[in-house]
Parts: sequence; structure tokens; C-alpha cells
Amino acid sequence: MDGLIIRLIAQRIGLTIIILFIVATLVFFTTSVLPGDAAQAILGQYATQETVDGLRQTLGLDRPIPVRYVEWLGGMLTGDAGNSLVNKLPVFEIIGSRMPNTLFLGALTAAIAVPLALFLGVSAAIWRGSIYDRLTSTLAVLGMSTPEFFVATLAVLIFSVQLGWLPALANLNTAQDFWGVLRVLAMPIAILSFVVVAQMARMTRAALLSAMQSSYVEMATLKGASRLRIVLRHAFPNALGPILNSAALALNSLLSGVIFVEIIFNYPGVAKLMVDAVSTRDLPLVQACAMIFCAGYLLLVTVADVAAILANPRLRTGGAK
Amino acid sequence: MSIAVENQVSRRYLPRLTVLGWIGVSIVLLWAVVAVFAPWLAPHRPGRIVDMNGVFGPISGTFPFGTDYMGRDMLSRVIDGARYTVGVSIAATMLASFAGTTLGLFAAVAGGWADNILSRIMDSIISLPSTIFALVIIAGLGSTVPVLIGVAAFLYTPGIYRVARAASVNVVVMDFIEVARARGEGMGYLMLREVLPNMMPPVLTDFGVRFIYIMLLISGLGFLGLGVQPPNADWGTLVYENLAGLGLGAPAVFLPAICIVSLALAVNLIVDSFSDLSKAGSSEL
Amino acid sequence: MKRILVPGHGFLNSADQREIMAFARNGATRRDVLRGLVAAGIGAGVAGTVLSSVTRAYAETPKKGGTLRVAGGVSSNADTLDPAVFGNSTDYSRGFMFYNGLTTLDSKLAAQPGLASSWDHDGTSKVWTFKLRDDVRFHDGKGFSAQDAVYSLLRHKDPNVGSKANVISGQIESARAASPTELEITLVAGNADLPVLLGTPHFLIIQDGQTDFAKPVGTGPYKVEEFTPGVRSLAVRNEDYWKDGQPYLDAIEFFGLSEENARLNALLSGDVQLTTTINPRSIPQLEANPDMRLFETKGGTYTDMIMRQDSQPTGNADFVLGMKYLMNRQLVRNSVFREYAVIANDHPIDPTNPFFAADLPQRPYDPEKAKFHFEKAGVLGTTIPMVVSETARASIEIGTIMQQDAADLGLNIELQRVPIDGYWSNYWMKVPLGFGTLTPRPTADMMLSLLYKSDAAWNEAGWKNEKFDQLLLAARVEADFDKRRQMYADMQYLIHEFGGTAIPTFYSNLDAHHASLKGLVPIPTGNMMGYNFAEHVWLEA
Repeated sequence: MDGLIIRLIAQRIGLTIIILFIVATLVFFTTSVLPGDAAQAILGQYATQETVDGLRQTLGLDRPIPVRYVEWLGGMLTGDAGNSLVNKLPVFEIIGSRMPNTLFLGALTAAIAVPLALFLGVSAAIWRGSIYDRLTSTLAVLGMSTPEFFVATLAVLIFSVQLGWLPALANLNTAQDFWGVLRVLAMPIAILSFVVVAQMARMTRAALLSAMQSSYVEMATLKGASRLRIVLRHAFPNALGPILNSAALALNSLLSGVIFVEIIFNYPGVAKLMVDAVSTRDLPLVQACAMIFCAGYLLLVTVADVAAILANPRLRTGGAK
Repeated sequence: MSIAVENQVSRRYLPRLTVLGWIGVSIVLLWAVVAVFAPWLAPHRPGRIVDMNGVFGPISGTFPFGTDYMGRDMLSRVIDGARYTVGVSIAATMLASFAGTTLGLFAAVAGGWADNILSRIMDSIISLPSTIFALVIIAGLGSTVPVLIGVAAFLYTPGIYRVARAASVNVVVMDFIEVARARGEGMGYLMLREVLPNMMPPVLTDFGVRFIYIMLLISGLGFLGLGVQPPNADWGTLVYENLAGLGLGAPAVFLPAICIVSLALAVNLIVDSFSDLSKAGSSEL
Repeated sequence: MKRILVPGHGFLNSADQREIMAFARNGATRRDVLRGLVAAGIGAGVAGTVLSSVTRAYAETPKKGGTLRVAGGVSSNADTLDPAVFGNSTDYSRGFMFYNGLTTLDSKLAAQPGLASSWDHDGTSKVWTFKLRDDVRFHDGKGFSAQDAVYSLLRHKDPNVGSKANVISGQIESARAASPTELEITLVAGNADLPVLLGTPHFLIIQDGQTDFAKPVGTGPYKVEEFTPGVRSLAVRNEDYWKDGQPYLDAIEFFGLSEENARLNALLSGDVQLTTTINPRSIPQLEANPDMRLFETKGGTYTDMIMRQDSQPTGNADFVLGMKYLMNRQLVRNSVFREYAVIANDHPIDPTNPFFAADLPQRPYDPEKAKFHFEKAGVLGTTIPMVVSETARASIEIGTIMQQDAADLGLNIELQRVPIDGYWSNYWMKVPLGFGTLTPRPTADMMLSLLYKSDAAWNEAGWKNEKFDQLLLAARVEADFDKRRQMYADMQYLIHEFGGTAIPTFYSNLDAHHASLKGLVPIPTGNMMGYNFAEHVWLEA
């Protein structure tokens, strides 16, 4: 069994490298065919052919795309992601200054959202069909389906503009201590949690109910075990695979939702950085961001898969064959 | 054991819906009708300024949904927007669900290298933040309706794939599948007759969730300036372009938001009642 | 009572003054006062000047201290402190915190002394001598001298720097330090507007040899405490600033917030005290709050519809005229700009400009005439794509209005909204039917030379008119003001009648601030005092 997991992890690391390579190539050439390049983006409305050409030369954009790709790849292999085309700073330095912000926000959100989602999903499955179940499920849909930018702007209007309880911007520089930080981040976390909780709770409930149809759960029912026990002892381990997968997905979709939060609350995270980088055609920066997102997601998925194998006896034996 | 298997297979064909399910169906049908007959239902042209001075106008007899930030009739804009929101979201979700479920099912049943390769390709797509990836693709191809549907479906196929595969994998290791394999049943039979019915609840729930996500993606693209082409607007874009009216309590911003929520709720009501009934045997309803 | 001088209008009589002062005291908003003045027949630019003198006269002396938080309108990882590549309002605003120009522009867009205390030219405005201040120090303690100015000016000419002022700097033939306090600039051809040009953000003065702009030193009123592109800058007071008593604030935190609702909400909630680029549709929200002030800067900013003359059918003279008659300027003014705009007449010279052709008849909104011209051009029943983008301000709304009216006549305009990024390099001036947004240049000559001369770099519509070119060159050297005005009037007529651009309105730049922020005066080159608010504003407790 341990051998299986070690093998799986080793396999995943190998695959991760391959996927990173695919993603890097994909992103590089996709962004390369976008209309315009960094030189034009920097010069903007009042560019002339001479200045664009001059800047292209300075930035090395006058060389063919494959050459630049190979160069970039070579740099990557030696651990150098290059410099940003538009502000000349080292790419890792730029990301390094933004990444902790996003991770911090993501971690706080996960710490609140994941337990809450599990609790809601499990309890809804236990009291399936009850008013409670209906209510949580309806609220979940409601929370998920309202556009984030609408919820965020409404929240700002209510809690910042009208009530004056919370700041309208997530400006960490104004926070004095840990509580100050929480106050500043309260609204971003709440809005991000909305979607994550709703998605995960619904998937948890569905996966549990699905697992409860399996023969051995029905067996346990026949033996007269309580519903709580059935859900937690018998169905839950079985459903863990889908649940963990949905958790990985939910956390990944957090990265999509976080872009709205970063824009509206002016929070200096990586998502906005990547959008900026795309719009200024800052390829080294786009590439590095994409790789980091990709690696992070693959890590989540691997953890989810390992956990699912550990939890499901059938997968363990089935896989070992 | 085999009795339980037979039961599960037959339950899949239950056509009945709960009351809530029917409510969901009627709302979706209503919006579908609105979407199809939009040009005849809208009292004004959706791009036409009908009120020279009344921007963010209130609900009134002349303008039942108020007017927007330029003085256009909101009712007409919402009706017109239904075509895009309902149409694009449903088309993209169906497309993604079909592709994702089929591939996930296939990967689970086939196993081995086919599974591995498919899963890694899906992982590569999914590992990129969907909004940003959509931004890149649409910036390159332009925001037309087919592009929007294609991009949304493309981005959400891997998610559905993962859920479908995970659900199927749990089914595939069950005894009755081993039995069927031992009987020498083909891949197609295994996928359709044995595994699919038993993995439906999470996949169906997922359909509802994905639908919401695709709707959110489309409206999010409106926020980033990449929604459908003006003067038309999907509901998400309608919310965004009138956001300045939020502080004034303008109906122009709340009503499209309510429309979005109503459609999302309706789809999920149907999905819920569907998955409730598909395992009717132990249902407490 | 203090007498108020109104340039060009002599002194206001005391009754006028009383009324204005009373108006100001009664808590009328700036806008009310401005409207009152404009209604009284005083030009908008002048009205701004009067009002600021009123505010000055009535208001308090500046207070020292406090930290100002400002939300700019844009921000990205392309934010820079290198004046040569400044790209937007965020960069300009920061530029004026950390650097000085040789000159600065006042509210009439005339050059006032900056690092140069006086200047003179050889009589043909070809060779200029700027006398520089000798009491100015950079933030690192080094003294400012003519060599710094030479370096700052000449680097624009190096194509590898990628300077946005590269084209304009082409008129500079050479620059040299005649002495540490004397700068000599030789132009390729005479240009009386050089001092004005040197007051614009790209010509801010940096230290000799500076190439790294991560944390640069300048001579400006504030020092760089922190600067992270795409995130924020923190500026702290330069205690050794060469202007006595200035600046007033201890520090300015500046960040760009591209989402306009977020920007406004940050102001309303007190997170920032000043923000910019207010969408007219948000004004009711602002007016509902008694602590907030709208700050309007009138000027010549406009968004125009471009019909490329080298494409069809946009190059067809009848199509062009048809579109001009189809443009419902009143509706654009009301519905898009909520009346914070003045109606334009299809030429780029705004009514505050001394060369504005007032007697050129206003082109009316006339669908009948439009139809007549469209029929002649044979475009009725066809479909024509029109490219719009969020970055060409209000182009989506203006395009929508045009499209609806065209549909009534049987001309099908298909709107194509394209993303903000890449718009200026890939669509502007390239698509047959599209939009541009232009900010005013300080002089009519600059405006017309840059935008309408046949060989102009930014001849938006690719419009070529020999007569216009001759007039433009003749007007530059014409000494007689009336003759010169007639020439400019003729040029405006040519653009109005034959040019490939349709200009619906000149709109105001709108900012908003908390009532405690004082000292703002409109400077028509842009928002927030032509981006130069930093050393002029203060916070009342």
C-alpha cells in the first residue's frame, strides 16, 4: 500500500514536469499570437514605427518567437525566469512580492470555507430532505449564482459606505495588528468563501448520498445502524474521493474568483498581476504566473488523490492489482 | 447483490419530478420562451434610448423594469439579455457536460494509460485560472456568441471530467462491475449500462453547479469588458454596466441580478429533484 | 474686498464679486458656482480661474501635515517612474510628486517658471536660453545643474529608450549647458510654444545619468519612500523643497483602482480623500453625500468617430457627411455625459481656445440630410462594422446611439467591441470606422499639426488636404492676430466640412474629493490639476 502511494507520488512529480512543459508551451504561443506585443503596449496610443522598433530591439522582441521560447526555457531550467518586459524587474521578485498576499488570502479563505462546507454538506446529507437541507441548498445556489462583482460592490456599499464598519479597500498598510488585518480582509474572505462553500457543500452532500447507495452501506442500514453513523462511518470514507476532488476544484476556482476581489478591493495579489501581464503582453511574467498556478493546482490534486486512496479500501486493493 | 444492481439500473428511467422540480422546469421554460421570442416580446429596441433625461429611472407604468444608465428600457434589455444568458449558458453547459462525462467515464472504465493521458491533459487546462484563460482566448478571437460558448465549454469540461471520473472510479471497483467484466461485456456496455446510472447523482449535481459557474464566467467576462457585443448585453453585463445605480437602489442593477439567480435556482431545483428521485428506494420524501 | 482679476475680462465689478462670494459661502458646490459664472457669460476656463481666486480669497491659508490617500484611475505592472515612458494619469501624477519640470503650466495653459526661473529666445524662437535656479537640490543632496536638464531632454531622442516624447523631441536639434545655471536649446525650426511643451510630464527633469527608475531621486516636493508597480507608491515630504512652505502634506499614498465603482466607494467610505475619472453616471451618488465634492475641469478632451479616408465606404465624402448629420450631439451630451460636456462642431478646437471659430454654424442633428447623403453614397441596406472599446472613452455609448439612428434609416452598423489592451496599437487609425480619444494640447497649432496635417503621425482619418497644410504653416509665422485667427477659422471649417472625423462633444474631466481636501484648481491638460495636485493641496483637519 505504501509502495503504491510512493509510486503514485513519484509518477505525479514526473507528470507534473511534463504538464508544466505543456502549459508553458501552450501559454507562450497563445499569448504570442495575441494582437500586439509588449513594445506596443508600453508605447500606447502615441507610438510611432521608429519608437516601436527601437523598443522592440531593446526588449529583444525583434528576434523570432521560437528563439525567444528556447531562451526562456533555458533560463527556466537554470532557475531564472528572466525580467519583466515592461518594468525590467526580475520576474521572481515581482511574483514573490505578490504571492504571499494571494496565499494568505487563499489560506484564510480555505481555513474558514472548507470546514464550513464539510459541515454543511455532511449535515445536509444526514438530514436529507428536511427543511434544513432545502434551505442550505437553496442558499448555496443563491450564494454561488450572484456575480461576485455585484456581491462585492453591494457589500462595500453596505458595510463600508453606509455603516462604516469595514474599509472599502483591502489596504494591508492600514492594518496595525492581526485583528486589523482580519478587519481589512473580512469582506474579501467572506466573498471568496461564498462560492467555495456553496460549491463544496453541494458536492459533499451529493457524493455522500451517492455513496450511501452502495451495497455495503445498504447492508449497514439493514443491520440497523443509525443514520449519523452510516453517513460518517460508512459513506464518508467512500465519498472522500469525489469530495476531495471537488475541494481541489473549489480551491482552484477560488483563483478565478479572486481576480474580482483583487480588482474591487485593490488587493495586490497574483491574479491581477497575471491579468496585467496579459494586457501588457509581458510574456515572461505571464509564463511564470501560469506555471505557478499550474504547479499549485497539481499539488492540490495529488494531495486529493493520495488522500482518496488512503481513505478507500477498495481503491487500495483495486489499484494494487 | 444482483437484485440491487437491477434496481439501480431501472431507476434511472424514472421520469417523475417533485413539485419543486416542476417549479424549476416552469421557470426554465419561461426563460426559454422569453429567449426565443425576445424580439417580439420586448416593448422597445434594447439599444434605443427611450428616456432622454430619466437615467436609472424607477419602476413605472411606462418602464416596468425602470431605465438603465443611458435611459434605455430595462425590460427590453432584460428580455433581450435572456437570449444570451440562457442560450450561451445552457449550450455551453450541455456541451461541457457531454464531453466531460463521456471522457471521464471512458477514462475510469478504460483505466491505465488512456486514463493517465486524459487526466493530465485535463489537469493542464484546469490548472489555469478560468477567467484569465478566457480573457486570453477571447482577446485573441473576439467576443462572439460561438466563441463564448466554445470557451466556456472548453474551460469547464475538465472540471466535469474530474468529477465524473472520480465518481465512476468508485463504481468501477464495485463487485457488479467485476461481474460484468467477467461476463465479457464490452466497453460501451460497461460505460452506459453499468457505470453511468450509478454515478449520476454527483454528476447531475455537478451539472447544476457547472451551469452556475458558466453563467458566472459569462457575467464575469462582462465585468472585464468581454461580454456579448453591444448594444446587446447578457444579464451579467447588464448588472455590471448599471453598477453605479447600486447606491441609488436603481432597479436596473437589481432586476438582472434577480433574473440570474432565478435561472440558477431553477436549474438546480430540477437537478436536485432529479437526483432525489433517481435513488427513490431509500427516499424519505 | 479683494479685487479679482479675470484675465481677458478685466476686473469683475464689486456686485459680481459679492454675488460670487456669497455663493461660495452658502456652500454652493464648485459646479454651481462654475455654472453660475458660465451662465453669466464668462468662459469656462476663465470661470475656473475666478472661482479659484474666490476660494483663495475666502478660504483659509494652507495647513501643514496629514497623509493623503489618492485612488488613481489606472494601474498595472507597467507603472513607471521613468518620465520618458510615462503612459497614463497614474504615472503623470507620480511624476509631479517626485520631479519638477523646467516650467509648469497654469490654469490658462501658459508656461510659468519651474526649475527654470526665466527664459528667452533669439527672436525667431529657434535658439532658446533657460536661466536655471541655483538653489535646487536632488533628494540625494546633489545640486541641480544644467547638465541634468540636458540629459533629461536628450534621452528622448534615443530610440532605444522608447520615449513617448520621441516624436516631439525631434524638434530639438541640440541642448547644451552654457553654464551650470544656463541651458541652451536649439530647435530644428522656430517654435514659440517650447516653454509650454517643457511643462508636460514627459519632460520632467531627472538626474544626469539616471537609468534605474526603481527608486529614483528627483527634485520634486516629495521623495519616493516606496514604489511597487501595479500596487502603490508612498511619497513623503521633501523637507528641503525649494518652494517656500510647500508641500503641505506629510505623505501621499497613491494607488490605481481601475474599477470605477470601487474607486467611488473608496472615496465615499473615507478610504481615500481624492479620486479621479468619475463616470458621469455616478454623480447622483456623489451629490447625495454632503461631505463630497465634485471637481470639474473643463477643457478640450474629446472622443471622436474616425472614418478612414483610405477605405470604403468611409472615404466617401457623402458617407462622411451623412454620419456627421446623424450624430445626435444633444443626446450624447445628455445621456452619456450627463451635461458635463459642451457640444462640438466636428473640429478639434474647443470653445475655450482663443482661436475657436465661433461663427462657424453648428452642425445640426438631421436624419433627413443624413439619409440623403447615405443614399448618394449608396450605403443604405449595407452592413458596416464599427469598432468601439472601453478605452476610447464613451465610444461604446456613442456608437450605440449612432447605430440605433442608422438602423432607422436602413443603414446597419455592426458594433464590434474590442478589448482595451492592444486597442491603440491594433485598431485605432487602422480600422475603417472606429473611435479615438484625444486630450487637448496646449496650443491650436500643436493640436492641428499632430492630428490633421496630411503627414501628421496621428492623422486619425488619414485625411489629406493641401489647402489645410498651407494654412497651418502660414498661421505659424503670421504675426497679425486677426489674420491668424481667420486662418485658424478657415482650417476649422475645412475639418468641419471635409475631415474624416466627427466630434460630438468636448467633455469635462471629473474628479471627486472629500471636503477636507483644499487647494485644487482646474488645469485643463487633465484630471486632478493636470495631474499636478501633489504640491498644491492640503488637508483641513
